[in-house]
Order: sequence, then structure tokens, then C-alpha cells
Amino acid sequence: MDNATAFGKVVTIIKPFVKNAAALGSASDSTRIIEDLGVNSARLVDIILAFEDEFGIEVDDESADKVRTLGDAVQMIVLKTAPAH
Amino acid sequence: MLSKRDRVGLRVQEAVSHAMVLLTYPWLWAWMRWRGYRIPGLSRVRAEFEAQAGREPGPLLVCANHMTLVDSLVIQWAFGSAWRLLLVPRAFFWNLPDRANLSRRTWIRVLGYVGKCIPVVRKASPEETRRTLDKIGYLHGRGQSILVFPEGGRSRIGRVDTENFSYGVGRMIQDTPGIRVLAVFARGAGQHEFSDYPRDGERFVIRLRRLAPVTSSAGMRGARDLATQIVHALRDMEVEAFETAGVDR
Repeated sequence: MDNATAFGKVVTIIKPFVKNAAALGSASDSTRIIEDLGVNSARLVDIILAFEDEFGIEVDDESADKVRTLGDAVQMIVLKTAPAH
Repeated sequence: MLSKRDRVGLRVQEAVSHAMVLLTYPWLWAWMRWRGYRIPGLSRVRAEFEAQAGREPGPLLVCANHMTLVDSLVIQWAFGSAWRLLLVPRAFFWNLPDRANLSRRTWIRVLGYVGKCIPVVRKASPEETRRTLDKIGYLHGRGQSILVFPEGGRSRIGRVDTENFSYGVGRMIQDTPGIRVLAVFARGAGQHEFSDYPRDGERFVIRLRRLAPVTSSAGMRGARDLATQIVHALRDMEVEAFETAGVDR
């Protein structure tokens, strides 16, 4: 999966949890999920679990803790969905 | 893994809190009286706590709804006398207040320390969250009791909030397999919405129920399952209290 596709899907998944919708409209890889988009930190878990369901991946606690920006989420998803060599 | 510094710090705080209980508890009692707070059927509530969770040793996680800044004081008062807390240290619950609330004044910080408070940071970094969970796991490993508010803060909707709650309580249960869980519903009869303090002269309704939350999932999904079961149990207890205890809606 390429970064642009993953980014679009990430934005779609995060949208229902976002309090600052304007920030989502101009979001980039460096947009911080909690601070910039106003996502409740407790809901970050729901978002990670939604990633698992949408992309068929497993995210351990350590990987989840590293997701702070949209770019972090995209990177994690692209890595975890990449075919094994 | 909790650092040695944190472990020693908790042991010292535990010893100091225990040594001071005959000073702090009368202060709590006097303050409750001064505000005119009452718990009808207090001896029955204490007997019920003893029957459901007090007599049995081992770690205990007390999960309560949250409406005011002094809920933990009300619950501690409801479940044990000064002598009980002196003779059975585990009956004196650890608390996890928001550091911002505890840092307002020096005397509040001192009371928090001797009141077995572990200040937590809202929206903490993953590292800080892990450290707090490790402290909780360490205390549970020593058979201590911890009072938490699974909603993660005072409910903004005037009811147990089953939509916006934290999953941290689920992680605490995962960290200590076999831990006993006690759900506590505590609310002033005239409390309509969240506030710093209950109104003067408030009469508190206390309900408690042993829970055995289970999940077949691990990790974050499991934590969410466990936390959801607890918050829903609190919501059910609230409904029951509204119907049977004369709590204002």
C-alpha cells in the first residue's frame, strides 16, 4: 500500500473522533493526532483498533505508543501491510 | 519495570500514610461533619464492604463513578473507620488524582501524600502512563487496594458516561491477573452534575458490587473489553440507585 492511499484511509478512520475538523481539512503527515486534531487520548485506542480491523494488522502496545502524528500512523500501516520477502 | 527509586518512594509513602492515619482520618471525619455530609446506613455499607471485599486479602481494584473532587474521600469514609485503616493497611486505598488538582496548594499536596495519592498527568506520554501503571502493578503485587475512576475524570453529563471513558482500568486488570474488582456507585442525593464539592448537608447513596470482568482478547482490545464491562456495571448500579434510593435525576 502506498503512503497516499494509507493517508486517505487513516483520515477517514480518524474523522469521527476529531474535535478540530478544520485541522483535519489541512492535515499533513506532521499533524499531531491529540494536540492538533483534538482527539481524546482515550479514543486513540479505538483508532488503533480500527486500524487493525481495516488493514488486517496487529498493533502491539509499543507500536501504538509511537503513533503521535498522522505520518506515524501511515508509516506503521505501510510497514505492517508490506508483503513479506 | 518500576525503578528502585519509585519502589522505595511508594514504600516510604505507605509507611508515612499509615503512621499518620490517626491524624488524617479525624481531619477527614471533622471536615465531613463540618460540611454536613452524611452516609445513611453507614454501618450497613461498611459491613457490606467487609463481606464483599474487605476481609479477603490480596490486591483489590475499587472502581467508582466520578462526580466531584472529593469522591475518593467519601468512599474511604464509607468503607472504613480510623481503627480499621490503622489495623488493616490495605483498607486504606491508594488514589490516582489528577496532578493539576493536587498541585493547587502546598497543604493539598501534603494531604495528598499522607492520603496515599499518586498524582497522575492527564494526556500523559506513553512512558509516563507506563510508569503509572507499573506503580499500580507494584502496589497490587504487595496486596494493596487502589481506588480508580474508570471514566477517567468527572462525568460531564451528570450520569455515568458510557461513551467517553478511559481504558486504563482494563490495563490495570490485565497487569494483575486474578485481581479482585469492586464496583462502587457513590453519589450525593442532590448532585445533578459534576462539581468540585458536593453541596453542604449532602446525603450520599453508596452501592457496591463485586465484578468478575473477563475477555478473550489481549492487548488494547482486551483492555477496552474489561473497561467497558466495568463502566456498564456502574451505569446499571446508577439506574438502580435512581429507581430505589431517592437520588435526584
